[in-house]
Amino acid sequence: MPFARIGQKSWKSGQIVPRIPKRCFSKAAICRQSGQTSSPLDAETHDVVIVGAGAAGLALASALTRPSSSARSCRIALVEASDLSKVREWSLPSDQYSNRVSSVTNRSLSFLKTCDLHSHLNQTRTNSIQEMEVWDGVSDARISFRASELLGREHSTNMSTMMENLNLQRSLLKTLQSNSSIILLDKTKVDSIAKPNDDANSWPLITLDNGRVLRARLLVGADGFNSPVRRFAGIDCYGWSYDTQAVVATLFHPSRSTGNTTAFQRFLPTGPIAFLPLSPTISSLVWSTKPHIASSLRSVHPDVLSLMINAAFRLPQISLQYLYDYISEKGRDGLQVERNELADEIRWREAAHSIQPYSALSSTSDKQGDISEGFDLLPPLVEHIQAGSVASFPLRFNHAETYLGEGLGSRTVLVGDAAHSLHPLAGQGLNLALGDVEELASCIDDAISHGIDFGSRTALLPYVRNRYFENHKVMSAVDKLHKLYSSQLPPVVWARSVGLEVVNELDSLKTALMLSAGADSRTTPNPWNAAADGVTLVNNGIEFLKTGASVISGTVGSAVRNVLKV
Amino acid sequence: MRTVTRIALGTTRSVRGRCSPAMAIARMNHTSSINPDEIAHFSRLSASWWDEQGEFGLLHKMNPVRMQFIRDKLLEISHEEDAENVRNGGILEGKDALDVGCGGGLLSESLARLGARTLGVDASLSNINIASLHASSDHWLNGLEYRHMPAEDLVKAGRQFDIVCSMEVIEHVDNPANFLRSLAHLVKPGGHLFMSTIARTPLSYFLTIFMAERALRLVTPGTHTYSKFINPSELLELFQEDLGWLSRSYHGTPPRTEAEIQGIAYLPWKGAWALLPKTTPGSMECNYMFWARKPLQDDGKHTT
Repeated sequence: MPFARIGQKSWKSGQIVPRIPKRCFSKAAICRQSGQTSSPLDAETHDVVIVGAGAAGLALASALTRPSSSARSCRIALVEASDLSKVREWSLPSDQYSNRVSSVTNRSLSFLKTCDLHSHLNQTRTNSIQEMEVWDGVSDARISFRASELLGREHSTNMSTMMENLNLQRSLLKTLQSNSSIILLDKTKVDSIAKPNDDANSWPLITLDNGRVLRARLLVGADGFNSPVRRFAGIDCYGWSYDTQAVVATLFHPSRSTGNTTAFQRFLPTGPIAFLPLSPTISSLVWSTKPHIASSLRSVHPDVLSLMINAAFRLPQISLQYLYDYISEKGRDGLQVERNELADEIRWREAAHSIQPYSALSSTSDKQGDISEGFDLLPPLVEHIQAGSVASFPLRFNHAETYLGEGLGSRTVLVGDAAHSLHPLAGQGLNLALGDVEELASCIDDAISHGIDFGSRTALLPYVRNRYFENHKVMSAVDKLHKLYSSQLPPVVWARSVGLEVVNELDSLKTALMLSAGADSRTTPNPWNAAADGVTLVNNGIEFLKTGASVISGTVGSAVRNVLKV
Repeated sequence: MRTVTRIALGTTRSVRGRCSPAMAIARMNHTSSINPDEIAHFSRLSASWWDEQGEFGLLHKMNPVRMQFIRDKLLEISHEEDAENVRNGGILEGKDALDVGCGGGLLSESLARLGARTLGVDASLSNINIASLHASSDHWLNGLEYRHMPAEDLVKAGRQFDIVCSMEVIEHVDNPANFLRSLAHLVKPGGHLFMSTIARTPLSYFLTIFMAERALRLVTPGTHTYSKFINPSELLELFQEDLGWLSRSYHGTPPRTEAEIQGIAYLPWKGAWALLPKTTPGSMECNYMFWARKPLQDDGKHTT
């Protein structure tokens, strides 16, 4: 499975706060009453009002205005609370990277190309992923994906493309600015959304904080996972917080003779740690782990964090647990973790695990390099971390009950994080959002060419039908993977490891997995189907074990069941 | 003429016993095909025209398929006549369109959105009010007008249109043969007539009356009257023998450039209607779309 980075996080350092509530909406409540809103007569009428100019909002605006779209003559307004000039003028020296990056699948990329992404995308800052190494932190069971071997000549040798979110957004924004049918309203918050006279059939009125009132045939909530548009539409959302934070950073490391086109992910019981290549010597980290470990990792010196990252890809779980405790105890006592002390500790632990200094598994020896056997199964050793790039954000699972408002919330539709947010371990957040946008744009197109009002439920229902279950499958597969790999219980570890190794031997199944994860730019059906089915199978096995365990012994059985709650 | 009589016979008896003051007025107007019971029935339901999940939900879902049929047929004919000048985008642009029995204006709005100067007429005043109110909120509907009048009044006024549509109407009128003659008059020579209706078969009884009205209550019971349903062959015979629009037919199939019939069906697993391939057995046994083109040269076979 491809992995990657996601998330609503600032490209500046520090704790990342979910961006939406502050960004898009002022404090005023989202009200449905018409009392204080202006009458429809004062309102500017638009065909589409998109709230939120993140990747999803920008991509939708681009898709609707591309030359092939029937919607290109529509009046479209894009409302964004933050200052878009920061995105437009974003630029970093070539040796620095934003810590907010995404893995864009080939399918998503070919859609973005139809939106003229490439005329403004800085392609020197993108990097293709051609191989993936995924392994179990407890059993070391491993699965390898190589695009060149599995997909054959007729396919691209890319599995996906890593790019900084700001690179993507800047490119879409520049394309949009050359288009006069789009009205960009940045530094503007939405004060309230209402239906005049509480009439469900009327068009929503969006009052902005500068007093402007927009009347919308269709209101699109692309406003992130705390979506105020979703709240206005009265759409419930179900989900939970994982007891997990993702730590991200931009990592510097020596170049390798084999290039830097492999993504690595190790499933630790505390959560997966991923290494995503951005350039020959720079990669991005996404380390999902328990909140207390995440906060110690964020508070230590970046050099100490480098050692921890190298160890986390290599040391057995028991030693990692010791290292987590070590740095958090120091932090609790108000002491600095010394780089040398930690290096000594790791060296001692490597010796205790019989890891030879020249082995690829050693992270403290300078004898290690491209010559070590199996070096390409592990990521390059991190030397240092880009200043200010360390940050963390909480992980959630959230899925709106529907993507389409009803009654007073009619003419409202949700895309991207406003509709769903998921664990970043498969790097599917942005790709699901782009899938939504592509489908919604095609629904709107279809409605226009048949003379149908595209704000109507009839026109939008195919969007929900085609996306909801599709997204749900991917989301629950990812969720179950997370839970499956959180366990250290021997039967679970055994079952998942055997499953992984068996899959690793079956090239055709691996090809199917890669294609369904979006590696093929041509086909559209069933992303993650195979993955979802595979996980369901393993899950069923565990259900079976659960039953067995409870029969065998009463008290032990119930403890096992608790742990096995997948 | 034999067929025409059959159509008329099949529909003279009103199965329902509703009576209203409008009935008396309508009786005086002998030229009108309007059935006062039907008008009262749809007037009662008029408020729910634009509730897409209510009474007319299935009709809302049918609309894209009707428009697809209309657009594709117009494109096909314009391609046939002038292959070099086909305007894929605006095939309805600038055309005069009439929607007879427009109801809440579902089809009229779509025609107007695609650029046709559209007139919607309906015998129910409350339908016209609902349709006008709804259209007033959409800035794309400038070329749309509604009037409360029977189609026969437009015939008297000598109006003619490039495109005349009458969707799901003929199975609700009293004298379908007369109604069709009126529609035929309203089409300009070389213009197009589009209809959709329901065939009179056991399958259509089962689906539209037993299932939709009685079992699933998707539609108010009494909306349809089985005896008023019309089979495709009956329509074709009327257009060939009575109106003279069709030059010939091959085993009941008219020439593709003169008339066409295509079945449509609701596919519950897709939640949408679809045009059925013509080769599907039984595809025209229930809901179907009908198109016919008025000859450029009127050969005078019309009888009024």
